[in-house]
Amino acid sequence: MLIRLAGGHVIDPANNRNAIGDIFIRDGRVVDAPAGGTIDETYDISNTIVMAGGIDIHSHIAGSNETMGRLLLPEQRSPSSFHPGHYPRPAGSWNTFETGCAYAAMGFTTVVEPAVLPHQALQAHLELADVPLIDKATLTVLGNDDFLLNLLRQRESSGATRDYVAWTLNTSRGLGIKVINAGGAAAFKDNLRAFSLDDEVPEYGVSSRAIVRALQQAVNELKLPHRLHVHCNNLGLSGNVETALATIDAAESLPLHLAHLQFYGYGKDGPRGFSSAGARLAEAVNAAKSVTIDVGQVMFGQTVTVSCDVLRQFNARNRARPRKWVICDGDSNGGGIVPYDYRPTDFFNAVQWAVGLELFLLINDPWRVFFTTDHPNGAPFTAYPDILALLMDRDLRAEWMSRLPKDALEVTTLLSIAREYSLFDIAIMTRAAPAKLLGLTDRGHLGVGALADISVYRPEGDKAKMFREAALVFKDGELVVRDGAVLHLRFGRTLRANPDYESAIRLRMRDYYQERYGLSPDFMMVADGAIGRPDPFEIIPCLN
Amino acid sequence: MAEAWIRGKSATLDAAVAEAANLLAASRLPVIAGLGTDVAGARAAITLARCVGGVVDHMHSDALLRDLDVMREAGMMVTTPNEAHVRADVLLLVGPGLIEAWPALPEKLFAKRRIVWLCPDDAAKTASTYGNIAVVGASRADLPAIVALLRARCAGRPVADGFFATSTIDTLVAELKRARFGVAIWSAVQLDSLTIEMLCGLVSDLNEGTRFTGLPLPADDNCAAVQQVAAWMTGFPLRTGFGRGVAEHDPWRFEASRLVDSGEADCALWMSAYSEQRPAWKRDLPLIALTGNPRALNSYVAIFVGRPGIDHDGVEHLVATATLAAVAARHPRIAVSVAGVLDQIIKKLSAARPC
Repeated sequence: MLIRLAGGHVIDPANNRNAIGDIFIRDGRVVDAPAGGTIDETYDISNTIVMAGGIDIHSHIAGSNETMGRLLLPEQRSPSSFHPGHYPRPAGSWNTFETGCAYAAMGFTTVVEPAVLPHQALQAHLELADVPLIDKATLTVLGNDDFLLNLLRQRESSGATRDYVAWTLNTSRGLGIKVINAGGAAAFKDNLRAFSLDDEVPEYGVSSRAIVRALQQAVNELKLPHRLHVHCNNLGLSGNVETALATIDAAESLPLHLAHLQFYGYGKDGPRGFSSAGARLAEAVNAAKSVTIDVGQVMFGQTVTVSCDVLRQFNARNRARPRKWVICDGDSNGGGIVPYDYRPTDFFNAVQWAVGLELFLLINDPWRVFFTTDHPNGAPFTAYPDILALLMDRDLRAEWMSRLPKDALEVTTLLSIAREYSLFDIAIMTRAAPAKLLGLTDRGHLGVGALADISVYRPEGDKAKMFREAALVFKDGELVVRDGAVLHLRFGRTLRANPDYESAIRLRMRDYYQERYGLSPDFMMVADGAIGRPDPFEIIPCLN
Repeated sequence: MAEAWIRGKSATLDAAVAEAANLLAASRLPVIAGLGTDVAGARAAITLARCVGGVVDHMHSDALLRDLDVMREAGMMVTTPNEAHVRADVLLLVGPGLIEAWPALPEKLFAKRRIVWLCPDDAAKTASTYGNIAVVGASRADLPAIVALLRARCAGRPVADGFFATSTIDTLVAELKRARFGVAIWSAVQLDSLTIEMLCGLVSDLNEGTRFTGLPLPADDNCAAVQQVAAWMTGFPLRTGFGRGVAEHDPWRFEASRLVDSGEADCALWMSAYSEQRPAWKRDLPLIALTGNPRALNSYVAIFVGRPGIDHDGVEHLVATATLAAVAARHPRIAVSVAGVLDQIIKKLSAARPC
């Protein structure tokens, strides 16, 4: 079956293509224009924009914490919120089916769930198996676990850390490793209420900096498809830009990804002791070439914050809107669910909104700044079209700013920024760059051999409308969305890494689990057969 | 070899599945209940309920909802048995039914820490069986007041001395405040929501100074896992209905027994693969039974199903880690699973109209 998408404006930064032309699809892949022969199906897509399917590198869409959020907030799902094919925007409590459909309707085809605790990996993968249409991947969380902290306390070799990281990634079927407030969850169990980069975890005598360094080195040596993904200390606190700057410095020349940097872009200036440090942070990112970041943009409205940064969530619990929350001291880890309502009239929330846009607009390399709301923490992912519109249109930004508190905008630089993203920039940030960041060679572009994950948009004056309802979306070459409506459900797969390790670590982990918990570590193995769908995983090779 | 019966007569699995599909298709409001099944069975049951516009409810929803109501009204701090095992220096056991809820509790958690048990099943026996456990409160009827007194004194509020010696309460409060990582353990099977809420409030208050957290022990029949599945698939916990084409959750409206006894439901599918639990409703109605001994129920269609983790592999809630885990069959045999039967029913139904 040969399909031709005829006459669209193809924007494919990875192949430096930005012109009107055709795309051919056969057996789920992009192929060369055929020399002759019949074309089975032609879609006339003249006057449209064609991009590879969007890739979201950081969106909390599955796992025990997300489901805890669903259980915590039943009132946020009005019965009218689900109509097949049409998706309005409720806040954080999407079910898995709606999640997949809403992503596909916007032309996104691959999404990374960035926080899976090793002990809870099976549930995360079962949930992902019920997310239709899109492909998925997970990041496995390490950095508060007793085993790793002990390795570091006992100054074991970097080989031991490497084997442990590889073994854990394999059992949990992750694509990469994330570290969340390294040491903070462990420190909180010892009743510490603040934890920064050079603080030491009680009883282990290991600093947060040392944990990040060890994991960064292990991920690098294993040549995992994705670099170490870091959620820094001191999220959300006034003056925390110093922590982010110190973490950027600590990256030295090794690759490091800093997640939802907006939440670390805060200074202490101004009459309220809270100001934007977005410009300063953007400048540091511009200078640190080995660092990539995603933004974690805040948008106004009700949402729920879901995080393994249990220390931060505990400290934020009394600001919950509505006033209820769950704090979990998990196995060698933790998590917290705190609902929150970002208000355009709130000084702090308006500053947060501006900091995110400053990062987007002042970091000048679209290959190193990634598009996220840290769903659902800054805003539900369904807010993406509105954010894209804000990035592309300075007049629209001005209009939004005219409705926000003036004193909040005065402690930011947003009013002075004129930059507008082009569609080419957007295609880099949401397609080409994420594929490169995740080591996915056949995604994020439309060259020959690429997976035929393709989104087609109808240009509109209203950019948000254009991105909210893709005209056509193909997944693996199959048409799944037309005019923002899902045509039928199909189920994708989950991408995972498969790094090598010395087999001795298996025995060591067996002994460790037996001694610490009286359990076999088998409970945390995610077996293909337990997922309940055929061929649930695709292996992404490690880097050469 | 499958074992199935239609109106008491032996039948092939195919015929029983076809009859079940007919009953469900003809029903105006079927209840999909019991739900004593593994994760695959729960996924299939919810898919089926969505397909036929039915209602899903678990046999232990009352207990599930007591914990859940506290969480979604007020919030909660929780931990896992594993973490309590490696870290807790003080355990506050609250109310009866704890060992019944988790038989491994004494073995896993009773050694090497300070333990206080409020109103256990049998105060004298508990004190004599476990020498290291201090018992406070003899009757479960006293429990709500004791927990309330603890919370009041923890916050430094005055209380009347008549009901319970304030000095006993104050000694205990001081002990809880001295804990480095205290864990309060309860089973919602035995407590009411207000007591659980008061207890969770006490745990939260204790965190003003030290670390303290809660450990709710789930009821049986894999209900904790089934609740998770319902939440990710529908956005809601159990007692959720699809009658109006979208998922709606209402703990009163979608209670299976109420729906059957009131006559609102006209067909029921009952699953109990872990134990031979019987439905609590009183009225007879066309029943499809999927259990280890389905002929014990007065059913139109009875299908024998294996027990997850014994007869066939499954995924279920693991108490120790408070998460889902794959469980291999201990004595694998060719037994039909709940998911196997439901998937065939769904296939039959979707041949007539897409599910």
